[in-house]
Amino acid sequence: MPTLVSLARQFLTDEAARVLDDAVAVARRRSHAQTTSLHAVSALLALPSSILRDACARSRNSACSSRLQFGALELCVGVSLDRLPSSKTADEPPISNSLMAAIKRSQANQRRHSDNFQLQQIHCNQQAASVLKVELKHFILSIMDDPIVSRVFGEAGFRSCDIKLAVIHPPVTHASNFSRTRCPPVFLCNLTGSELGRPDSSFPSSGREDGEENCRRIAEALVKGKNLLLLGACASDALNRFIECVNTDGGGILPTEIAGLSLISVEKEIIEFLSEGGNNREKMDFKVEELRHKLEQCSGPGIVLSFGELKALVDEKLSSGALSYLVSKLTGLLEGFKDKLRLMGATAVYETYSKFLGEFPAIEKDWDLHILPITSSKSPIDCFGSKSSLMGSFVPFGGFFSTPSDLKYPLCNVAQSITQCHLCTAKYEQEVTAMLKGSTVSIADQYSENLPSWLQMAQLDTGKGLDVAKTKNDGTTLNARILGLQRKWSDFCQRIHRAQPFSKFDVSQGRAQALVLEGFQYVADRKESSSGSCSRDSLLNESQCANLSLGVHMDLQNDFPKRNSIPITVDSETENVNCQSKLIKEASKSQQKEKDSPWFTPLTLPNMSLPADHTSSSSVTSVTTDLGLGTIFASCSRRPNTPKLGDHREHYQHFLGFNSSKFGISESNSHQVIQPSSCSNPSSGEHFDSRDYKSIKKALNEKVGWQEDAICAISQAISRCKAGYGRHRGSTVRGDIWLTFVGHDKVGKKKIASMLAEIIFGSHENLISVDLSFQGGVNPSDSVFECQELNDYDVKFRGKTVVDYIAMELSKKPQSVLLLENVDKADFLAQNSLFQAVTTGKFPDSHGREISTNNMIFVTTSTIGMGNTNFQPLKEPVKLSEEDILGAKNWQMQILIEHAAEGASGSNGRNVKISRKVTSTTSVNKRKLEGTTNFTEQELNYKAKKLPHKVLGSSLDLNLPVEETEDNTNSGCCDSDSISENSETWLEDFFDQVDEKVLFKPFDFDALGEKIVMEISIQFQKAFGSEFLLEIDDEVMVQMIAASWLSARSRAVEDWIERVLGRGFTEARQKYHSNVKYVVKLVTCRGLFVEDQAAGICLPSRINL
Amino acid sequence: MGTNLLEALNVRVVGSGEKILVLAHGFGTDQSAWQRILPFFTQNYSIILYDLVCAGSVNPDHFDFERYTSLHAYVDDLLNILDALRVDRCSYVGHSVSAMVGLLASIRRPELFSKLILIGASPRFLNDKDYHGGFERADIENVFVAMEANYEAWVNGFAPLAVGADVPAAVREFSRTLFNMRPDITLFVSRTVFNSDLRGILGLVKVPCCIIQTSKDVSVPASVAEYLKTHLGGGSTVELLRTEGHLPHLSAPALLAPVLRRALSR
Repeated sequence: MPTLVSLARQFLTDEAARVLDDAVAVARRRSHAQTTSLHAVSALLALPSSILRDACARSRNSACSSRLQFGALELCVGVSLDRLPSSKTADEPPISNSLMAAIKRSQANQRRHSDNFQLQQIHCNQQAASVLKVELKHFILSIMDDPIVSRVFGEAGFRSCDIKLAVIHPPVTHASNFSRTRCPPVFLCNLTGSELGRPDSSFPSSGREDGEENCRRIAEALVKGKNLLLLGACASDALNRFIECVNTDGGGILPTEIAGLSLISVEKEIIEFLSEGGNNREKMDFKVEELRHKLEQCSGPGIVLSFGELKALVDEKLSSGALSYLVSKLTGLLEGFKDKLRLMGATAVYETYSKFLGEFPAIEKDWDLHILPITSSKSPIDCFGSKSSLMGSFVPFGGFFSTPSDLKYPLCNVAQSITQCHLCTAKYEQEVTAMLKGSTVSIADQYSENLPSWLQMAQLDTGKGLDVAKTKNDGTTLNARILGLQRKWSDFCQRIHRAQPFSKFDVSQGRAQALVLEGFQYVADRKESSSGSCSRDSLLNESQCANLSLGVHMDLQNDFPKRNSIPITVDSETENVNCQSKLIKEASKSQQKEKDSPWFTPLTLPNMSLPADHTSSSSVTSVTTDLGLGTIFASCSRRPNTPKLGDHREHYQHFLGFNSSKFGISESNSHQVIQPSSCSNPSSGEHFDSRDYKSIKKALNEKVGWQEDAICAISQAISRCKAGYGRHRGSTVRGDIWLTFVGHDKVGKKKIASMLAEIIFGSHENLISVDLSFQGGVNPSDSVFECQELNDYDVKFRGKTVVDYIAMELSKKPQSVLLLENVDKADFLAQNSLFQAVTTGKFPDSHGREISTNNMIFVTTSTIGMGNTNFQPLKEPVKLSEEDILGAKNWQMQILIEHAAEGASGSNGRNVKISRKVTSTTSVNKRKLEGTTNFTEQELNYKAKKLPHKVLGSSLDLNLPVEETEDNTNSGCCDSDSISENSETWLEDFFDQVDEKVLFKPFDFDALGEKIVMEISIQFQKAFGSEFLLEIDDEVMVQMIAASWLSARSRAVEDWIERVLGRGFTEARQKYHSNVKYVVKLVTCRGLFVEDQAAGICLPSRINL
Repeated sequence: MGTNLLEALNVRVVGSGEKILVLAHGFGTDQSAWQRILPFFTQNYSIILYDLVCAGSVNPDHFDFERYTSLHAYVDDLLNILDALRVDRCSYVGHSVSAMVGLLASIRRPELFSKLILIGASPRFLNDKDYHGGFERADIENVFVAMEANYEAWVNGFAPLAVGADVPAAVREFSRTLFNMRPDITLFVSRTVFNSDLRGILGLVKVPCCIIQTSKDVSVPASVAEYLKTHLGGGSTVELLRTEGHLPHLSAPALLAPVLRRALSR
């Protein structure tokens, strides 16, 4: 998307914006669709005295006259512009993406390079510091980066890098005594070790040739006096290239240490010799003698003997005699002239070498080949050259961009401008300014630290207008001091404000604000719930504007725990107090209240869900919510300020309007007003305890009646925690409660969690449910359980870690129940965060931000229990396991009628039968279970059932059952493989920390199943009478049990049987009134999902016939 | 001397473990790419993070077009960093180009590395006879032309392609870091990468490697992982990630981290 001109102009200084306007004008004149960098260049050149023109003039290096070259340049630009397609355009051709990218780059560049002076200016003016206006100079530099522009300049005989240099360096009046281009780039001399940073490397930096990189490395290795084996796909190329270089160049490529080294290749001789099968030993001997002679003669660095491609030596067709003869000759030579002779060869793959070694194990020691990996065929430069001569003009020389006088930046400014946050930078600058005032040197030379003095001189020459001598004297000490300051502040910044070293300027600022926000989260939330009239967002904005310094924020954090126990003594008039210490106290106080507030109304849900009433109507005062306030409110509970409610509210709103720093105070006041109203009946903790306990227990029992023991334990734990007992976290009182449900009954756990959310936080909306075992996995979409959306997290998971998801939800709903299923499957990150949360009360997300978990109830579930807890007091092996039920599919049901199979009817007067296609352990399950059923009969029945199914054919797949169920049982038992090694210890530690570990009994599905069968039997007899037999498919059974387990109402499944199934039976009876004996079957339509769901239960609303 | 390099390449050490882990980012990203992997390891490892010299977060002036013509210069940087930090043994996780850098570094200093984990690694991107690297020379030239013509358009097209999986946040992040690179440097580095060929030297790597390959990676075909496994000199394993894209640490950190942990503990 092209950018609008007006938008782009915002990023530019006036000067640069004028250029942009000109460029737009050029584009419009030529009726181009977009304004590109080329247009900008054209506009720049059109100005008679532009920076660019000036820079071009100075960087000109060709022999022809400047007028001519400018003419050529203008022509080239013109031609390139002509090539652009023209179209009907608007008044202002928008800015092309590439030009916009250039502007953004220059912005970044300028930020990186900007000296402190600029930064200071920005800060002093308190402008929006984030919009850094791009200066013309930087704008031009970025435009020159654009490949198209470089090409155009290249065509005209300019090198864009030269022009860039000229742009950076304004004309120097008196000649500087160093040549820019010849100085090595900083990286070589300053940043790395001596080996790499040889500034006067003997390799000529101009006239680079093909594969020079490889040659250089080979030469370097030779300097070390090693025998070389070049290894890599392009190794032989590199070897040949090197030989060529050395021999044609007269050794010019070699470093001085080994200059004059001669290189002899015996590759041809070797191949010849070996191909003849080693018959011609004399010739080889002769060659070796010749070499020996040469070696004796030679002085200086010696001789390198290339044996060429190693592959020639390992060819399997070779006679081993010839090869070993050759090898021994070479070895002999090498031994004879240890100092003078070096071997060199190449091979494409390592395997060749190892094969060679396999044949001549002694070689490794005798030849002592040093392997030099060759990894690239050509240097990238070469590619540019080969592809387009134009490209060559811009890229390879881009590196020259980093020339000496430009080098000050990397050494100091990177670290400084990036790692410090806004505030610290500002403070740092203040100090610097103060320091500079003391000395006579101006700010301008701050950034010349670390530079050799001659570079400083150059820097100053370039127009800073400072006396050179002075800088030389004062500069160094001053710079050292400034650097010290810089370090100090950036250290400080990192430590205190936790700025990420690489986070950008505005980012870290945003972070800091976020931290402040967190600190005031309590206030924010409280306000939301107490006033109910202001949206949370607006509040956040308010506190963002808060004039609180970060320091205060830090204090707040520290003070919270300490001041928690301070009784509240501030009376309601304190809103006028705005000194900091008070603020802190207030804030901590409000936090504490906040923490307690959810607890004092467990019995009066309506009030919790309608918090606005608290402030607007005084009738609330009569509510008997006296719970959990403890001593904290005792001191203020008697304050008769209820009538002032309206007043406070006014204050409160008023403050919101203009001074949000007082917000905390006014907020806590209005809050305080509510408190007494609800505290009218202070009572002892014990009293509260028992009532609380009973209410929770009663509510839970209604929903999840089968888990009586667990409910008992849960209610006890909650009431205990709320009363402030039972915490094992030191002296500080925390509002969060941690429960762990172990054992079976997934649905029961979920229901209880949901109920807790409803009882304690007013609505089951306040339940955050995350299943930790689902990470990365796929949830079967056809499950019965899917239709209830059990796992919020799964849906919104994409692209988020589970920790971040939880953190997000926590901050959204600071008062809620967080249900974490399968906590034993938590990934490492989640483990960390959870553990931190349970120990410190703060839940960190993956970015390290912490969300307070005060007021939260954490419910973690796990199917495995820890330690010696015997959580499976199984009376008997259950017929239906939880896993079977969880695997229930949400399929349409169907009634089939077919002729009775032999002997299947009327057995023992039972008319309902479940056909079970499960494994051998469980089989036929009839109503009024005959405990004596023996195995053979089961088998028989099982088979008997199969037959009719086959007849039906269409809806059943007989191949599946056995394996499938086996799979089920396997996955059912907690697979400990997936649990990483320290996960178990973590789980143990974690369970040790929670407030209560509650054991859940397995749900008795068999009993439920029997109940359901009984109900169905009644319905069936109503429709068909007692002489017919009903067979219920096992899958249908499981589906019904699952649905019943899930349903919120207690009699949901009974209702369904009566309404839906009963109707189905009646319809079926009407359809088939044959007198022939038949069997009625209730089966699933495999693969056909329920489309129309019955109310209140996950079962179909009608049965197919 | 050393500290300057550490500063220039933004070297950071985080975490408090005894074992040392180096996380090296690949082409087009910077160390922030590891941000979402980090928390999984900070407890048990001291993690060294640094930026390749070509990364956008490094001052482009450090990029010496004469020096960084092959991967060896990057290897020098890595080894210099490790030496400056006085690391005597570490595990190394390298993504794309850094995986290759890690391989080369381990050849030069095998004692320094206890384990290499290679994410989206390829010894050679170009096809050859008997080798499928995924790219034809002509394709690559087209890509380069596209980069030259309009860098931004190229980035906008390339980022989603590379990320692969449909994770907008990762695409955004990758485009951001790609944009941070100066176009000419990007072009130059990609030429360096595409010209390098490590096939011959894989046998020299004696450090055990773990190759992490996603199920679909536009830059690295699955056969390459197999090629690496068979040719690497140390014992190596291949881990298949059930996600798509070249940047699993950006697009699927929760999936990648456990695999990394497992690989590191072996």
